[in-house]
Amino acid sequence: MNTFLTLLLNGLSLGAIYALIALGFSVIFKASEVVSFMHGSLLLFGAFTIAKLNASIGFIPAVIVGVLATAGVGLLVERLCIDRLRGAPVISLAILTIGIDIMMLTELTRRIGSDILNVGHPWGGDFVSIGGIGITTNRLYAMITAAVLIALFFTAFKFSSWGVAMRASAEDGETAALMGIKRGRVSALAWVIGAGLAAIAGLFLVGSPTPGVAPVVHSVALRAFPAAILGGLDSTGGALVGGMIIGIAEAMAAGYQDQLLFLGRGFGDVVPYVVMILVLLVRPSGLFGTKELTRV
Amino acid sequence: MTAPATDRGPNAAERGIPALEVRGVTVRFGALAALADVSFTVAPGTVHAIIGPNGAGKSTMFNVLSGVYKASEGTVRFGEHELTGMRPHKIANLGIARAFQNIALSGTQSVAENLMLGRHHLTKAGFLAAGLRLPKATREGLRHGERVREIAEFLELGEKLELPVGILSYGDQKRVEVARALCTEPDLLLLDEPVAGMNAEETRRMAEAVLEIRDALGISIVLVEHDMGMVMGIADRVTVLDFGRLIADGTPAEVQRDPEVIRAYLGSGDEQLPGASANTASDASSTRIPTTTEDQA
Amino acid sequence: MSDTTTAPSLGDTDAPVSTSSRAKGLLTVRNGLLLLAVVLLLIAPIFVEEFWLRTGFAACGAIIGAIGLNLLVGTTGQLSLAHAFFLAVGAITYVYLSGEEGGTAETVNGLGLPPLVGMVAGVLLAGLAGLLFSPVAARLRGIYLGVASLGLVFIGQHVLNTWTSVTGGFNGRTAPRFELFGFSFGSDNPSLFVLGVPFNAPERLWYLGIVLAVLSYVFAKNLLRSRPGRALQTLRDSEVAAAVMGVDVQRYKARVFLVSSMYAGLAGVLYALSIGSVAPESFALDLSVLYLAMIVLGGLGSVGGAALGAIFVTALPLVFQQYAGALPLVSQPGQGGVSAGQAARLLFGLAIVLVILFEPAGLVGFANRFKRKGRKRPARTTGPTPSPTPAQGSTT
Repeated sequence: MNTFLTLLLNGLSLGAIYALIALGFSVIFKASEVVSFMHGSLLLFGAFTIAKLNASIGFIPAVIVGVLATAGVGLLVERLCIDRLRGAPVISLAILTIGIDIMMLTELTRRIGSDILNVGHPWGGDFVSIGGIGITTNRLYAMITAAVLIALFFTAFKFSSWGVAMRASAEDGETAALMGIKRGRVSALAWVIGAGLAAIAGLFLVGSPTPGVAPVVHSVALRAFPAAILGGLDSTGGALVGGMIIGIAEAMAAGYQDQLLFLGRGFGDVVPYVVMILVLLVRPSGLFGTKELTRV
Repeated sequence: MTAPATDRGPNAAERGIPALEVRGVTVRFGALAALADVSFTVAPGTVHAIIGPNGAGKSTMFNVLSGVYKASEGTVRFGEHELTGMRPHKIANLGIARAFQNIALSGTQSVAENLMLGRHHLTKAGFLAAGLRLPKATREGLRHGERVREIAEFLELGEKLELPVGILSYGDQKRVEVARALCTEPDLLLLDEPVAGMNAEETRRMAEAVLEIRDALGISIVLVEHDMGMVMGIADRVTVLDFGRLIADGTPAEVQRDPEVIRAYLGSGDEQLPGASANTASDASSTRIPTTTEDQA
Repeated sequence: MSDTTTAPSLGDTDAPVSTSSRAKGLLTVRNGLLLLAVVLLLIAPIFVEEFWLRTGFAACGAIIGAIGLNLLVGTTGQLSLAHAFFLAVGAITYVYLSGEEGGTAETVNGLGLPPLVGMVAGVLLAGLAGLLFSPVAARLRGIYLGVASLGLVFIGQHVLNTWTSVTGGFNGRTAPRFELFGFSFGSDNPSLFVLGVPFNAPERLWYLGIVLAVLSYVFAKNLLRSRPGRALQTLRDSEVAAAVMGVDVQRYKARVFLVSSMYAGLAGVLYALSIGSVAPESFALDLSVLYLAMIVLGGLGSVGGAALGAIFVTALPLVFQQYAGALPLVSQPGQGGVSAGQAARLLFGLAIVLVILFEPAGLVGFANRFKRKGRKRPARTTGPTPSPTPAQGSTT
C-alpha cells in the first residue's frame, strides 16, 4: 500500500509539472491557434539559463532572469513570426515552431554537450516524509508552486480583463476584434505566460530526482504534449486533468515496472503516448476539448 | 448561353425526383436555437427560395440539408431516404448538391480540377488505378472531362478551365461553385447566395441560368438569397425564416404581402422612438451562432 | 459546344500549363533538360567518385520517403510526425526477414528470405502499420494528428529498444545486402565492368536507388492529377466542401496515411541498405523532423519539391562533413565550435522558418519566380491556401 501511495504522490507531483507545461501550451493554442512544438526547447532554455547563471548571481536571481528570459523568447517568437502569419493555415504555423525548435535544441545541445548541468536548487536532493510516504523536496515544491500558479492563472482567466479578452478571442476572433480586443496583445501575452510557465516547469523538472539539465530533458518535456491533447487542446482545465493523468500513469508504470516487464523495460517513458492514443480513439477532440460542430 | 445536354429535358416527375420534406427541424447550439421547428416542402422540379434577415438561420438550414450539421430534432426526407444523421458524402450520393456561400473551392487547383471533384461520386478510380495510370482510370477521366467542359461552358467558364481558381474574380468563383455543384448531376441543387457580390448584369445572367437548369434538367433548386428582385422573379415558392423560425411559406406574391414578413424586414413602423431598437432584425440584433458546444474554462 | 475535339486536360498540379506558343517552346526546353539529366544520371557512376554515389543512393531513399510524407502533409494537409516510425517498420522488416541469425552483442533471429521478399514485405508491413493507426488518423483534426503522431515515434523507439531478438536492441543489427536473382547490389559479386570501370556496390546501388525513386515519383505524380489526388487536395483546402461533394473524408484520410506509410517503408529499406545496419536511435523524432524539413524546404504540396528538398537535406550534412576543413564556421569533431551535423541542423531549422515566413512554396516556388518572367499569367503557389470554412461564420 505504501508503494502505491508513494507512486501516487510521485505521480501527482510529476503531473503538476506536466500540467504547468500543458497549461502554457493550451493557453498559447487558445490565444493564437498555434501548436507550439517548440515548448520543449523553451523549457530546456529556461532550465539551462538558470543553471548557467546560478553560480554567478545566486539561485533566486537566476530563476527570475531565467523565467523572464524564456518569456522574452516567447514574446520574440510571437511578435516576429506568429504575428506575421496570422490567418495562415494552422499547419504552417505548427511547422514554423518546429523549425524554431530545431534551431534552439541544436544550439542548446551543442552548448550543454555531454555534461549534465546542475541547476543548484537550494533544497538539493532533500527528502520529505509525509505520513510515511517519501517525496523529494523538489517535487513537493513543484506541487505547491504549480498549485499556486494554476490557481492564480484560473482566477485571472475568469475575472481579469485579459482572461475575458482571451476567451472571447478564442471563441470568435473576428467579433472580438470588432469589439476592440487587440488580438496581437492577447496573443503576445499568452506566449509570454506560456513560455514563462515552461521555464518554471523546467526548473522543477531538472531537479531531484532528475540528475540535471541535459538534452534529454527536451524529450521528457514532450510528454506534456499528450497531456494537453488528451485534455483537449483548447481546454485549459483539460490541460490540468491531462497533466495529472499522464503524471500518475507514468509514475505507476515506472514504479510497477517489474510486474510489467512483458511490455518492455522502460515502458513508463512511453505510457503517456499510449494513454493519449487510447483516449483519442474514443474522444477525438480530447476529454474536454470542443467537439467539432461540422461533420464530414 | 447554351444549356447542358438537351434543351427541354425530362421534367422532374419523369425523372422520378422526389420532394424534399423538412419536418420540425430544430438545431440547438447550447441554449440557443438557430433553427426552431422549421417545416417546409420543396416540390420536385421547382425553384424554392429561403429568405430572411441576417441571422435567420438560412445557412444553418443548408448545413442541415447537406449533413454538415446534425439537427437536434426533426427529420428531413428526400423520397424514401431519411437525411438527418447521414454523413455528407452519403447525402451527395443521393443527388443533393450544394454551392457554398463563402467560396469553398480549392484555390490552388484549376477550374477544371475543381469541377472534376463534382464527378467524384460518379467515378471510381482509386489510388492504385490512378497511381499506375491504368487505362480504365484514364478513360474515365476523359469521359467525365467532356461533361465537365459542357457544364463549364454553360456557365461561361469554358475559357477559364485551366486557370487556378484562386486568381479568378469573385463573380467567376461563384459561378465555379455553381458549376461544381452541377457537375455532381444532382436531383436537388442547394444554392447559397449565388448572386452575392454580383452586379445587375451578372445577377440577371445567373438568374437565367438557374431557370434554364430547372427547365432543362428538371431538378429541384433551393435558393438562399438576399436579392429580393431576383428571388421574387424566379422562385416558384418562398419560405421566410426569422430568428430560426418559419414565419411565412407561399408563393412570392403571397409572401410579399404577408405582414409578418414585412415586420421582420422593416419593423412595424409606428414605434420608431429614438434609441428604441424595435424589430429591425436586419442589423445589429443578428444572433451570433457560437461555434462551441461547451462552455470552456 | 466547345470546338476542341479533345477533352480538357485537367492540368498537372505541379507544372504550369499554358497554351501560348512561347510556352510550347519552353516545354521542349524543359523536356530537353530532363533528357540531359537522365543521361547524366545514367552515366554518372563511370566518372563520379564513391562518396557522391553513396550520397546519391541515400538521397534516393530520402526522395521516396519525402514524396510519401508530402502526400500526407503537403497535398492533404495532415501534419504527421510519425514518419520515422514507418521507416523503422520497413527497415526492421527487411532486416529481420532477409537477415540471418547471429549478432554480436545480442542474439538476433532472422528468416533468411530473399532480400526482394524482405523489401516488399517491408513496404507492405509499413502500410499495414499505417492502416492500423488510420482509425486514429482519420478521425483527428489535422493538428491533433500532429501531436498524436508523436506518440507513434516514441512507442516505436520503445519497441525497437526492447524487442531485441528482432531488432538487436539498442545496438541494432546489420542489414543484409540486397540482391536480385543472384546479382548482388551490396558487393561485387558477380563482377561487372562497364567501359573499364568496376561496377561494385556503390555503382549498383546507385541504379537501384534511381529506378525506385523514379517509380515512386511517377506514381505520386499520377496520383495527384487524378481523382484521388483532387479529393486529397480538396481535403486540405476545405474538408467540408470535399465531404459535400461526395468524398468520404475519413476513408480518404486513412488511405493517404496508408500510402504515405508504404512510401516510408520503402525508404526505410533503402536506409538500411545505405547505412548497412539499423539501430533504434536512427528512427527517432529527429528523423521525422528531418523529413518534414525536406518537404517544407522543397515546397509543400509539390512532388518535385519533395524530391529537391530530400536531395538538399540529405546531401548538405554529408557535404559539410566531407569538406569541414574548408568551411569557415564548421569545426572538426573534437574541437569546440559547431560540428558539421549541428551546422546542418541549424541551417535546416533556419531555412524552415524563412521558408514559412517568406516563400511558403519553398524551392519550387523560388524557381517558379524566375520562370515567371516572360509569362503573362500571374503566379500560382503550390502551398496550402487558407479558405474560410463555409459552414460556419456566415450570419444568414
